[in-house]
Amino acid sequence: MKTMRIKSLVLTFLLLAFSIITILPFLWMLASSFKTNAEISALSQHFLPQNPTWENYENALSKMAFLRYFLNSLSYAFVLSVITIYTSAIAGFVLCKYEFRGRQMVFGMVIATMMVPGVVTIIPRYSMMQYLGWLNQFQALIIPSLFTAFGIFLMRQSCTAVPDEILEAARIDGANEFYIFHRIVIPMLRNTVASMAIFQFLWAWEDYLWPYLMIRSESKQLLSIALNMFSGRYSTDYAGLFAATSIAIIPVVICYLIFQKQFIQGIASSAVKG
Amino acid sequence: MQKRIKSANSLRSKSEIVLRNTVVASLILFFLVFFYIPIFAAFYGSFHLWNPLKGQFKPIGLKNWQTVLNNSLFWFSMKNTGVFSIVAVAARVIIGLLLASALFSKLVKARSFFRMLYYMPTITPMVAVAFVWKNMYDPQFGLLNQLLGSKINWLFDGRYAMIAILLLTIWKDFGYAVVIFLGGMYSLPMDCFEAAEIDGANARQRFFRITLPLLKPTVIFIVITSFISYFQTYIPVMVLTQGGPGTKTYLASYLIFDQAFSKYNFGYASAMSFILFLIIAILTAVSFKAAGENGQ
Repeated sequence: MKTMRIKSLVLTFLLLAFSIITILPFLWMLASSFKTNAEISALSQHFLPQNPTWENYENALSKMAFLRYFLNSLSYAFVLSVITIYTSAIAGFVLCKYEFRGRQMVFGMVIATMMVPGVVTIIPRYSMMQYLGWLNQFQALIIPSLFTAFGIFLMRQSCTAVPDEILEAARIDGANEFYIFHRIVIPMLRNTVASMAIFQFLWAWEDYLWPYLMIRSESKQLLSIALNMFSGRYSTDYAGLFAATSIAIIPVVICYLIFQKQFIQGIASSAVKG
Repeated sequence: MQKRIKSANSLRSKSEIVLRNTVVASLILFFLVFFYIPIFAAFYGSFHLWNPLKGQFKPIGLKNWQTVLNNSLFWFSMKNTGVFSIVAVAARVIIGLLLASALFSKLVKARSFFRMLYYMPTITPMVAVAFVWKNMYDPQFGLLNQLLGSKINWLFDGRYAMIAILLLTIWKDFGYAVVIFLGGMYSLPMDCFEAAEIDGANARQRFFRITLPLLKPTVIFIVITSFISYFQTYIPVMVLTQGGPGTKTYLASYLIFDQAFSKYNFGYASAMSFILFLIIAILTAVSFKAAGENGQ
C-alpha cells in the first residue's frame, strides 16, 4: 500500500498546485481591495497591502448607490431562479411522464433553441420590448426568461428516475396531478433543483448585455453593469472595483455553499446518457 | 423500460389534461414569441435598412448580405472566433476531464474542498473577473508579469492579446466542465470500475478503456454547448481589448453587438448574426452525426 500512499500524495500535491493558480486572482483582488489606487499602480508591488485601508469599501457603499444595485441584482437573481426552476420542473415532468401526440415535437422545439445564438434573437427582442413599452421595466428582464431550454432538459432527464409506480399509486389513492407534482415529484427532483439553483442564480447575477440594453435608470440598474462603470474612458478605478467585486461575489458563493451538497448528485441524475 | 399504458383519453384524469394542456400551450407560446418569431424577424430584417433610432425599416434586398460577405473584418473575426473556440473548448474538455478523474479517484481527500476551489471562477460574474485580469495583465504593475518575470504588454501586443483573452476564458470556465464530468462519472455504473480493478487494469487503462467511452455522451454535451457559448463570447473582449490592438481580437459576437448597439445597424447586424447561426447549426449537426456514427 506504500505506492498508493505516494500516488495519493503526488495527486493531492498536483491538485493543490492547480488550486493555487485558480484562486490566485481572487486573493490578488481581495488583497488589492485594501490598497489605495496609488499603491495598486505603484512601480514597486507587494502582494499584501502596505497600509491596509477600508476606504474603498466605504466609498463603494456610500458614493455609488452600491447597495441599491446589489439589492436589485439580488432580487432579480432570486426571482428569476425561483421562476425558472419551477417552470423547468413542471415542463420537464409533463414532457417526461405524460404520453401524448406531439410530445417529441414540443420537446424538440424547446431543445432546438439551445443552439440559437443570443445575437440572433436579441435585436428583434429589443424591438419587441421597445414596441411593448417595457424598456426600463422589471418585466423586460423576467418575461423573456420565464422558461429555459437548458433547465427543461435537465429536469426531464432527472424525471426519468422518478418511478411510474409511485405516481400510479398516488393516482389510485385519489391524488390529482397538481398534488402529485408538488408533493411527490418536486421533492424527488431536489438534487436537480439544487444544481439549477446554482446555475440560474449565477446566470442572472452575472447577466450583462440584456439588462444593459433594457435598464436605463440609475435606480433600477443591476450590479454587473454598475461594475463596468468603475472603468472610465481613460483609467479604471481598480481600488473601488476590487472592493465592489469582493462584495459582489458573496451572494453566489453563499448560494453555492447552500446547494453544493446536492449539486453534484443533481448533475449526476440529469447526466446525459446516450 | 416499462411505460405507462394509456390508450384512450378517457383513462386520463381531468387534472392531467388541464396540467398537460397548460404546460404545452405555455411552452409553445413562449418559445414562439421569444425564439421562433425573433429568428424569423431577424431573417426578415436582414433584407432591410433597419435603424431603430432613425425609425428606418426600408427593404434593400440582398445589400446587407453582400456587404457582410465582402467585409474582410467579418471574415477575419469569424476566423478569430473559430480559433478561439477550438482552443477554449479543447482546454475546457482536457482540463475538465483530468481534474474530474482526479477528484473522482478515491486517492484524494478533501474532494469537496477542491471542487469548491475549482468552481470559484465559474461562480464569479464575468464582468468582475475580467477587470481583475485586466489589472493582472497590466504591463507595468500587473501580477502576471511579476510572477513570470516578463515584460509582456499582454493586451496591446498583437501577439499576446488573443492569448490573454483565452487565458481568462479557460480559467473562468474549466470548473464548469469539472463539475459536469464529475456528475457524469458518478452516474456511471460502479461495478464496471470494480470489475476492472479486480482484473488488474491500471488507472490509465481504466480511464481510456472504461471512463472515457462511457462518458462520451457527457463529453459531446460539453463540446457542443461550449462551442455554442464560445461562438458568442463578448464580455472578455469588451473589457480587455475592445477588439484591439487594431482589429486583432475582434470576435464575431463583438462585431455584431458593436454594429447592433453602438451603430444601430440592426439589418446589417442581423445578416451577420444569421451567418453565425448557420455556422453553429452546421457544426452542431456535424458533431451529432459524428457522435452517432461512432455507435451510440
